[in-house]
Amino acid sequence: MSKYDLAFATPLMNAAGSLGFTPEGRGPVDLNRLGAFITNPVSLSSRTPAHARCCQSYPGGFLLHTGYPNPGLNQVIRRCRAKWARAPLPVIVHILGETPDQVATAVRRLEGLEGVMGVELGLPAEIDRTAAVELAQVGLGELPLIVRLPLERAIDLAHSVARLSLAAVSLGPPRGVLTNASGESTRGRLYGPAVFPLAMAAVASLARSGIPVIGAGGVYNPQNAEAMLAVGALAVQVDTILWTAGWLNKSG
Amino acid sequence: MRAARGRVDEIYFSPGGTQARITCPARLIPAPGQYLQATSQDAILSTALFLAGSAQGGFISAPSLPENWTPGTSLSLWGPLGHGFQLPANLQRLGLIAVSGLFARLAPLVERALAQGTAVTLFTDHPPGQLPAALEVYPLGEYPALAAWPDFLVVDLSLEDIPRLHSILGLPADGRPPCPGQALVHTTMPCAGLAECGVCAVELRRGWKLACKDGPVFDLRDILA
Repeated sequence: MSKYDLAFATPLMNAAGSLGFTPEGRGPVDLNRLGAFITNPVSLSSRTPAHARCCQSYPGGFLLHTGYPNPGLNQVIRRCRAKWARAPLPVIVHILGETPDQVATAVRRLEGLEGVMGVELGLPAEIDRTAAVELAQVGLGELPLIVRLPLERAIDLAHSVARLSLAAVSLGPPRGVLTNASGESTRGRLYGPAVFPLAMAAVASLARSGIPVIGAGGVYNPQNAEAMLAVGALAVQVDTILWTAGWLNKSG
Repeated sequence: MRAARGRVDEIYFSPGGTQARITCPARLIPAPGQYLQATSQDAILSTALFLAGSAQGGFISAPSLPENWTPGTSLSLWGPLGHGFQLPANLQRLGLIAVSGLFARLAPLVERALAQGTAVTLFTDHPPGQLPAALEVYPLGEYPALAAWPDFLVVDLSLEDIPRLHSILGLPADGRPPCPGQALVHTTMPCAGLAECGVCAVELRRGWKLACKDGPVFDLRDILA
């Protein structure tokens, strides 16, 4: 893997799904403190919101189930390419792909777009090693490729994809299940400080193995970010702390 | 939209839940139907504060509030956010429907409407106390029989209530409201429009919209898809 294909002014960026499709200077987040902007996950075809979408809190965090709604890659490019070209920081487009054709098509469409410095490929949570390598392989192209691994399987999958010429791997939110007051179960992505120790363990393990890793998961203060960098993270992604008046906000 | 510091000055217990008197700069006070994103120290998620009434140096927020907020709780504020209510000029008869029984978010409209000589009727199964004498109140079930009265209808409902809105309004499944109107869709908005996360997505007549940035007040005809 080559970690030198990516260069960030500062080793901090937002995680996919945390700040929309374009960096908005008018928002509360101080974009000057980020080294790159990662878009919301984008699929080739449009996706509607999940039927049982929810945000459910528990001690130490919350579960999100949304279905990653988005208007599809063509619409996103049409709406956002001008803003990406004018963006005050480099843009990394996060793509969702379940088949090699989808990934290859998406990556090719992003190549040559002004302002787009890289692609982050989000792997499905239940993907096997062979399929993970196949998807990552077809994602390689003119743009540096980051492969986002589900946190709970990061160590398992990273050693397989690490043989490819990726720019880095990053860590996606782990999945969990909660039941609501009506007894209905929902499976979704987990966010919040409780995720941090899991993320730290994964970052430390991957960094020790020499795999360029962008740490993420439960980073809620500057100390968390520094700790990840100290154990070897190439950079750190922050996610839902950006939805509160955290340390990266203009008032923070 | 601006950022500022604010504070919880008082907590009130009401039938609909806890309300607070929030101190904040005047430029941040949300208009009726808009909201303010508020975060207390160390909170993992922010809270959407809707206007329920006016107060010196700030405003009264509608229920409900995080359990750990107490008088003196310091807040980081961002907003005001979203699209609020737009009542027509020279409105003669305003109908208000509190589907989930929570009147607080509609209360600011009553004051303004009565001040400009508009007759106001509230339909709710949980009538709050201390209402203006000029405000008529009927049970929710009475609305269909009185549907011809309002010139304009304002509805406050949760995302989960939308599927039964036709029934509440006494309309057939593909029916249209008898007058123009707006609906405030109340739902969890964890990203407050920053991320388009999709949790607050509302299916309208012409596709999906987000309550946090496209709403939370929508045209009533679009809600009745």
